[in-house]
Amino acid sequence: MRNISPARQLITQLLLLLVGLFILIPLWSTIRLAFDGSLRGRPTDFTFLPKGFSLEPFAAVLDRPYQSVEFNVLLRNSMIVSIGAAILATFLGISLAYGFARFRFPARNAGLFMLLLAALLPPIAFATPLYIILSLLNIRTTLIGLTIVYAAFAMPFCVWNMRAAFEAIPKEVEEAAHLDGANHLQTFLHISFPISLPSIAVTTMIAFLMGYTEFAIGWLFVDKADNVTLSMATYALVNGQFSGAQPWSYLGSLAIVMSIPVIIIFILFQQTLMERLLFQETS
Amino acid sequence: MNIKTALRILSITAVLAIAWGLRVRAADKLPIDFDEDDYLRAGQEYAHLIRTLNWSGFLETNYRTEHPPLAKIAYGIVFSFLPEQPLVEDVAITASPAKTLPKDLLWAGRKEAAGFGTLTAFLLALVNPLAGFLLATHSFTIKYTSQIMLDGLSSLLSLGTVLAYVQYKRKHRAVWLIVSSVFLGLAADSKYLHGTVGFAILVDQIFENRENLIERKFKALLPILGWGLLSLLVFFGANPYLWPDPIGRLQESFTSVTYTVTNPNVQSANFPLWQPLVWISMSPILWHENVFLFAPDFLIGLFAIAGFARLWKRERVFALWLGLSLITLLLWKTKWPQYILILTAPLSFAAAEGISKAWESLLESIRNRRSKRQFYNNKESLQAVPWLVPGLIAFALLTLLPFLFQVAISITDFNSASIRDGFQGGIWRELFGGLSGQIEPSNPDFPFRSNKVQYTGFSGYLPVFYFVTGQGIFVFNILWMVASTSLQVILGGGLSILLNQRGVRMKKFWQAFFILPWAIPEFIGALMWLNIFIPEIGWLSLASKKYGDAFPLQFLIGWERTPTFWFFIFLVPAVWYGFPLILLAVNAGLKTIPKDIYEAASIDGANSWQTLRHMTLPLLMPVLLPAIIIRSIYAFNQFYLFQAFFFTESTLATLSYNLFNPSSGFGGGQFAVSAIINILTVMILTGLVSLFNRHMQSREEFIHA
Repeated sequence: MRNISPARQLITQLLLLLVGLFILIPLWSTIRLAFDGSLRGRPTDFTFLPKGFSLEPFAAVLDRPYQSVEFNVLLRNSMIVSIGAAILATFLGISLAYGFARFRFPARNAGLFMLLLAALLPPIAFATPLYIILSLLNIRTTLIGLTIVYAAFAMPFCVWNMRAAFEAIPKEVEEAAHLDGANHLQTFLHISFPISLPSIAVTTMIAFLMGYTEFAIGWLFVDKADNVTLSMATYALVNGQFSGAQPWSYLGSLAIVMSIPVIIIFILFQQTLMERLLFQETS
Repeated sequence: MNIKTALRILSITAVLAIAWGLRVRAADKLPIDFDEDDYLRAGQEYAHLIRTLNWSGFLETNYRTEHPPLAKIAYGIVFSFLPEQPLVEDVAITASPAKTLPKDLLWAGRKEAAGFGTLTAFLLALVNPLAGFLLATHSFTIKYTSQIMLDGLSSLLSLGTVLAYVQYKRKHRAVWLIVSSVFLGLAADSKYLHGTVGFAILVDQIFENRENLIERKFKALLPILGWGLLSLLVFFGANPYLWPDPIGRLQESFTSVTYTVTNPNVQSANFPLWQPLVWISMSPILWHENVFLFAPDFLIGLFAIAGFARLWKRERVFALWLGLSLITLLLWKTKWPQYILILTAPLSFAAAEGISKAWESLLESIRNRRSKRQFYNNKESLQAVPWLVPGLIAFALLTLLPFLFQVAISITDFNSASIRDGFQGGIWRELFGGLSGQIEPSNPDFPFRSNKVQYTGFSGYLPVFYFVTGQGIFVFNILWMVASTSLQVILGGGLSILLNQRGVRMKKFWQAFFILPWAIPEFIGALMWLNIFIPEIGWLSLASKKYGDAFPLQFLIGWERTPTFWFFIFLVPAVWYGFPLILLAVNAGLKTIPKDIYEAASIDGANSWQTLRHMTLPLLMPVLLPAIIIRSIYAFNQFYLFQAFFFTESTLATLSYNLFNPSSGFGGGQFAVSAIINILTVMILTGLVSLFNRHMQSREEFIHA
């Protein structure tokens, strides 16, 4: 087949540009706020560029964005909670996923159905029971408690996703290993695990993101300022800014600060790993 | 007479009895509604003309000219047998319902409407007893055929129109076509909107004569042309008010209709575009206690969706009637609940087909289960144990337990006031006592505020369900899922196909750029759009303040006040955030399609649209389907976007969160109610996912066959 004609190339590029603009609009509207040092409260004028360019909002946000809590503390909390939850969910989910993918046993279908059911639940459904259980254990308002909550959110997704990854490995590969005398654990550790490592990594990353960006359930559980995460602080900022207490620019700069690590992770993970997600059958 | 015929006659008689019984009960118990005083007065005016034999008076009488006179005349005929009473007061159209109306007239009028309503159900039962039964019990239909409204007579006539037409199609006797056209004219004379049934017949004829039309044999359309002309003649003939000045009076009538569009009632109701769907999904059992014995409306709507395709195959004209009426109602500017009566007859028919289809597939799945057992051996099961145990413990603790817990507290009144009691074992006490029958279920008022946990049984489910459907949250949630996912698929899929043309420049750059929204956390993305859309301080509002009417997006200002608008506004960030995943899925899928089949297709002379439609899309489906399901579930449970905008009653998930949150505005800390909503969510989603999966599987088989 030949390449497309110049006219079609032009139309294609124009359409792509249009979508590009669509993507850019909210980004730009945030950027122009984030660098606007002139704002003292809510924005009052329409501007396309920041009115008074300044890095002051960034400096303020990187210092103490929420009450008197330092940014570093917020970031540390976020990382503890979301990395902890991601590792917990992946680690605990991996055996279940492999069990469902590789073995046939009684009530397997019922089990799969329960897995799906759990994946359909909205996050808030986990709140009440965990609220009570964690309160009884006296860890409700701690970072450990929040880690467990976020792990619970991520778990159904992790199991579901990794099961698909394990199922995508051809049975013959594992059977060959069995013939060579390897047991199930060895087969898993030396064959299935390395093959599906990219998928597992992506699953972990998504689980991390769930915890990193969650704020609503966090606010139901945590009440000590020291245990607030970055995401929760951002939501508190939105809440506070409607009253005009803080410059609206902080919202923009905090949003950008929060997105940067995620974007970096995505750029690092791109291409090969991205396609692993959810589309196992194809790769 | 064989047993089958006997059963049929028996069931039709039963439908007749049920329909009449339910309608008389409702006519007795329903309070006086909007408009009943208007039609009663109109009936009185006609009764007076009949009594005084003043036939020329019909030329000048039509109280409330926005509606044609026939149904009102029908009331007048009945009223003329009763003693004359002073005319009820002529009040403004915006006035609230009358406090009292003459008892005997009200009762007679309502019974007449109930009679028409019963006859409609009976007629439908003649064709399909189950459909007749559903129409007989549909609570919205009962309500508006048990009050002095125009819909009783007009739905009878419109059903008659279609049934006569179906007879004509079977027997090819002109007399049935004539009957059909007479009924159509009369139906439109009772209420204009009921004339939509005529369009269904027209479209059905076009389908019927497809081949003739392609061969330009227009003669085949002559019968239907005559049918149309005759019904127009009947329409004018049976509407004496039009005789003196047909065009002018018709215009007057329709300007009154537009008057009702701009009338303050309509504006203050502020119904969204899709309100007719909300009416179909809910039941007036919410508005009137102790009038309706049960409310199958929601189930009828659900089964109607399942049975639509089958109805199309069996009785296409009914399916067309349902579809075209729905489109008309969606486009029609006034959205009063009684308007759905133009489609409840075909809706019941579709539901009946849906029920028989569900029944058949249930039987089939039982048969298949017997023949298709899962095979497993004990050795393999034992090997699985060490893998499953650690994960299952964690899964049980973190996921299963919360889920079971939800079910448990949903049958109590657990709330933030009883949290201390709940912690100290109150939930288990009540649950155990309630399920073992030692504790009577209590039925506390909402919001629950008791400081001891109480067992309520499943009594909370139905009210919550009625609330969710009645407020339109359910319909919004479903529409939101469908619209948001389809737009994502269109944008993501379209972009992928654009990018994967041969030799597109800057492909790598665009691809990386388009994934960007996905890399931004949903909540942050929502905040970015908040900067734009939020009233007063958003970019949009500021631009409108600066440029005034010169700003082309001026019409969007105030979007937060109309549901239709905010539906579309929220779609923008949702699509922005969601399409990259679809783009990636389609990209991955396109890679799996071998290139040589395209060359084969181009050699065979297929154009690019045909290649896309018949080769690319079917081959993409297996890869795209999981992504679509994931995005749909996500959209159904969409929460962070709405929460960032403080729209707390938009989806089930936001409603559930804000009912739960002890510090939220409306009756916060309602843990039990929140749990009920979550369980409803899971039930709805399970149904949707399995339906979708099934539908797609059957379609794939069709493609491969």
